[in-house]
Amino acid sequence: MEESSSNVLSSEKPGKMKRTKKRSKGKEEEQEEQVFNFNKPADEGDDDDLSDSEDSVYSGLEDSGSDSEEGEEEEEEEESHGDDGEDEDDAEGEQSQQLQTEVKKKGSEGEEEKKADEYEHDSSDEEDIRNTVGNIPMEWYKDFPHIGYDLDGKKIYKPIRNKDELDDFLDKMENPDYWRTVHDKQTESDIVLSDEQVELVKRLQRGQFGDVNFNEYQPSVEFFSNEVMLHPVTNRPADKRSFIPSLTEKEKVSKLVHAIKMGWIKPRRVEDDSRGRYYDLWATEDSSILAQHKMHLPAPKIPLPGHQESYNPPPEYLFTDEERTLWEQQDPSDRKLPFVPKKFSSLRQVPAFPRFIHERFERCLDLYLCPRQRKMRVNVNPEDLIPKLPKPKDLQPFPTTQSLVYRGHSSLVRSISVSPSGQWLASGSDDGSVRFWEVCSSRCMKTVQVGGAVKSIAWNPNPSVCLIAVALDTVVLILSPSLADKQVVLASERLLAGQQEEEPSEGAGPVWSEAEGEELNQGIRLKIQHPKAIHQVAWHAKGDYLASVMPDHSSHLQVFIHQLSRRRSQNPFRKNKGLVQCVSFHPVRPYFFVATQRSVRIYNLVKQEMTKKLQANSKWISSMAVHPGGDHVICGSYDCRLSWFDLDLSTKPYKMLRHHKKAVRGVAYHRSYPLFASASDDGSVIVCHGTVYNDLLQNPLIVPVKVLRGHVITHDLGVLDVTFHPTQPWIFSSGADATIRLFT
Amino acid sequence: MSQLQARFFTENQRYVVDDVPFSIPAVSAVQDLSNVINKLLEAKNASHSKVEFDFLVRGQFLRTSLSAHMETEGISTEEVVEIEYVERITAPEPEECMMHDDWISSVHADTEWILTGSYDKTARIWSVEGKAVMTVAGHTDVVKDVAWVKRDGLTAVLLTASLDQTVLLWEWNSERNKVKARHCCRGHTGSVDTVSADPTGSKFCSGSWDKMLKIWSAVPTDEADEVEESADRPRKKQKTQHLGLTRTPLMTLSGHNEAVSSVLWSDSEEVCSASWDHTIRLWDVETGTMKTTLTGSKVFNCISYSPLCRRLASGSSDRHIRLWDPRTKDGSLVLLSLTSHTGWVTAVKWAPSHEHQLVSGSLDNLVKLWDTRSCKAPLYDLAAHEDKVFCVDWTESELMLSGGADNKLYTYRYSACQTDVGA
Repeated sequence: MEESSSNVLSSEKPGKMKRTKKRSKGKEEEQEEQVFNFNKPADEGDDDDLSDSEDSVYSGLEDSGSDSEEGEEEEEEEESHGDDGEDEDDAEGEQSQQLQTEVKKKGSEGEEEKKADEYEHDSSDEEDIRNTVGNIPMEWYKDFPHIGYDLDGKKIYKPIRNKDELDDFLDKMENPDYWRTVHDKQTESDIVLSDEQVELVKRLQRGQFGDVNFNEYQPSVEFFSNEVMLHPVTNRPADKRSFIPSLTEKEKVSKLVHAIKMGWIKPRRVEDDSRGRYYDLWATEDSSILAQHKMHLPAPKIPLPGHQESYNPPPEYLFTDEERTLWEQQDPSDRKLPFVPKKFSSLRQVPAFPRFIHERFERCLDLYLCPRQRKMRVNVNPEDLIPKLPKPKDLQPFPTTQSLVYRGHSSLVRSISVSPSGQWLASGSDDGSVRFWEVCSSRCMKTVQVGGAVKSIAWNPNPSVCLIAVALDTVVLILSPSLADKQVVLASERLLAGQQEEEPSEGAGPVWSEAEGEELNQGIRLKIQHPKAIHQVAWHAKGDYLASVMPDHSSHLQVFIHQLSRRRSQNPFRKNKGLVQCVSFHPVRPYFFVATQRSVRIYNLVKQEMTKKLQANSKWISSMAVHPGGDHVICGSYDCRLSWFDLDLSTKPYKMLRHHKKAVRGVAYHRSYPLFASASDDGSVIVCHGTVYNDLLQNPLIVPVKVLRGHVITHDLGVLDVTFHPTQPWIFSSGADATIRLFT
Repeated sequence: MSQLQARFFTENQRYVVDDVPFSIPAVSAVQDLSNVINKLLEAKNASHSKVEFDFLVRGQFLRTSLSAHMETEGISTEEVVEIEYVERITAPEPEECMMHDDWISSVHADTEWILTGSYDKTARIWSVEGKAVMTVAGHTDVVKDVAWVKRDGLTAVLLTASLDQTVLLWEWNSERNKVKARHCCRGHTGSVDTVSADPTGSKFCSGSWDKMLKIWSAVPTDEADEVEESADRPRKKQKTQHLGLTRTPLMTLSGHNEAVSSVLWSDSEEVCSASWDHTIRLWDVETGTMKTTLTGSKVFNCISYSPLCRRLASGSSDRHIRLWDPRTKDGSLVLLSLTSHTGWVTAVKWAPSHEHQLVSGSLDNLVKLWDTRSCKAPLYDLAAHEDKVFCVDWTESELMLSGGADNKLYTYRYSACQTDVGA
């Protein structure tokens, strides 16, 4: 109640202030109004300005507008429908005035005294016209019978107040207007607020305008908007200061400029976080789960429960009496099972497990106490298991670069052969000539026209004779190139001079004949006429035997072995075992290698039996070479493969090399260096290192070391033959481009 | 570092400049330095005419800029650099081209005469002016090597080695222009690939494909040595075959495992031979024993010895020219490797009057002039040949010779600087 009253009072203040002012300074009314314009835009004086002034008129001002109280009242009544608060105010004022007059009249009355007492608390002199003591603590008048003075300087006596607490309480209980009764301290009177006043109080308490009719959301006129109006709001000329720069600002700026110049003010430093103001402690940490548990050792797992643990185990798991007694007698640590399997008719009957806590505890102890060891799992990279091949660089010497080109043939050179001394190179070509070249200078020393495409050419490997076998068409020619010492030439002549044994040869057998005339001058000594086209000739290491190959599907007459000294030919095979591709003699032992399309047969010439059959995993063998040691054979095939056979190891290839892109045409072993080579239709010669060990346990080491290119592919044919120099790590290759090339 | 201190010196008194250190730009190349020296010489001697110089820093020819050279050689740039300068060797000028009928296998030059061996089974004598003087025919096969033995006035003794396994000793009278086969040196069982006469002209040595070296007397006599002929050889045939009196070797030096490709006398009692068995062997002719073996890794095609620098140069079937010191006892010691050829080096020859220069011929058709002080690159490439080069030689009269498979013998004139001769 007290609070609400004070609120009411404060809200009433401006009105009362106005009133007093009006009374004291009537002339200044206009001014005052102007001042109060700020508080109350809806002013009387501004009525002409504001269109809605009638509604928004505030009570206090209207009060002040009238001088006489009567007029006030009248006005009040006139406007009472709109302005409740004002009415109340006025009513209050009226009341208090009435009271005052009452006090004047009956000054002796207790009630009047009390009322006078109540005036003491009112401090506003402007407000209260009945008590002129001003805004002082009213307790100062506590000991006096009056509470102040009225306008005429007469004492206002305190109203007699005989209400005690009990009365107050009773009043509170009985008086229906008690809640709206307000105690005025300055006049010590109780004021009952009217309905309008209560409404005003409530409105103010809610923070609303006192005027009910005041519309706070009415549309406003935007005088100062962004729109430039045709007519200015004021006609006032712009100030001069709005044109001239501000001196103080200038001073301030110059001070700042000076400070910046002197370095007192520095531009704000940009924090560079990139250099690591914040260090990422876990930047290098692997955040994956596995990394987090790097040293994580998983706990050993408990074996899953078996049939013993079942509530209804098969009968064989149930203990017999003996077992049970044994179990009971055993030490708990020796027992096979820590419990006795029991059978229950249904799961419902299974009791609680009595040892549960115990078992858990044991488990925890196990986990805690058991020493754990990290089991290192060995990760073996399969690549590491492959034996390391040495680098080709470490396997020197081998031919690397083309050194010499032997030019002179006009057609593809099918076959080449180097003399045992390494001084001469013989080549047979499709242009019908056999040429002899000086190896070191690529000089063609001799050309023998043989009158037919030379299929194969082979220098006699015996250094004490100088002979060469040339296969063309159906004839094998024995040439004496006389490119050696006279002694050697004579020795070879002697070898050829052997008389033909008058042996009635089979009808299809080869016919030996001596060359005559011009052919003799050219060096051709013997002609061995065969029944069919000859594909290959091969010498035995001793130089007396010569094998010739006539591939034929249908005949068993495919291979002949000729003995030079006795001018004898024989056919070693009675049966046709397949199309013979090439033959070779074993370099030291009496073996004979016959390569058919898919396999290589090894025959013992002494026992006249086949000792081995090598299965080349290729479709069509093209060429074959026997290692000078005699225990290894390489086969080239038309399906681009090169197979290395270790005769001691297996009849299957020890190694297959598939380096060529096209058919392999020729293969060769070096006589002394651990080298072998293959020539192919793709125009390349691949040189491989192939060390053979005496130790039977050690397998040959095969490393491809060099691809030699140089031949031009002509008519889809590349390199046709390949052979090594007998003493140097050099290789000769003959190609379809009619050249022979030396790589060193 | 833009400047460095250099002191220039030379052994040629004509071109001496003051022995004071100069500050020269570090990036200066040979031409800049040459200009500097020329300027200095002009300042000293107004009549000086411009000479091109070459510069040696610590015995190595300057080929790049000075700073780069010193960086690669690891020479400190803080100290004063001693730079020697010599008159630049001018490029050899091709002078004559002597056409042969066939490939030229060998050449040996005298002061006046050039002897060439050819694949047409003859040897030829030419004057240094390029005039064909004489054709020496007699061999039945390719002449592989030729050598002058000695010259007494108008008669000269010369040797031709051939694929027909003989060496023929000829006597040639230059006035009458008559050549006569005096001796047929028989004994080799393979083609005689190389022959070399000793400095006194009394003996010669031949090397053959049969792996043997044979020492023969080079003095023409009128007696034929007795030859144990195999009984079955018909006497009649033997007579007709022979040209001149048969001579047998004084000594046979065996030890090589492969064909002997080149032989020479390093002094009057020492023979040096190179072989396809990757070795160079030195033999004492007096005792007929092998003294030293230098082992290489590739086939040796040719060797040459310079008494001036006492080095052996070898050309091998890889593309390197290697310099050896034959007196080292600890086996193979390659002093220097000259690499620029791209084919087999078939011929190499030291300059007779210059201790640093050598010429080499290769299967890559090039003849290269080298200075051992510039081992990275040759001084000059002589690309006159159109085919394989088989032989090179020098004359003492400022000529270089090279012959090869294009049937041409080229002579090149080069200026042997007096300064170098003096050095």
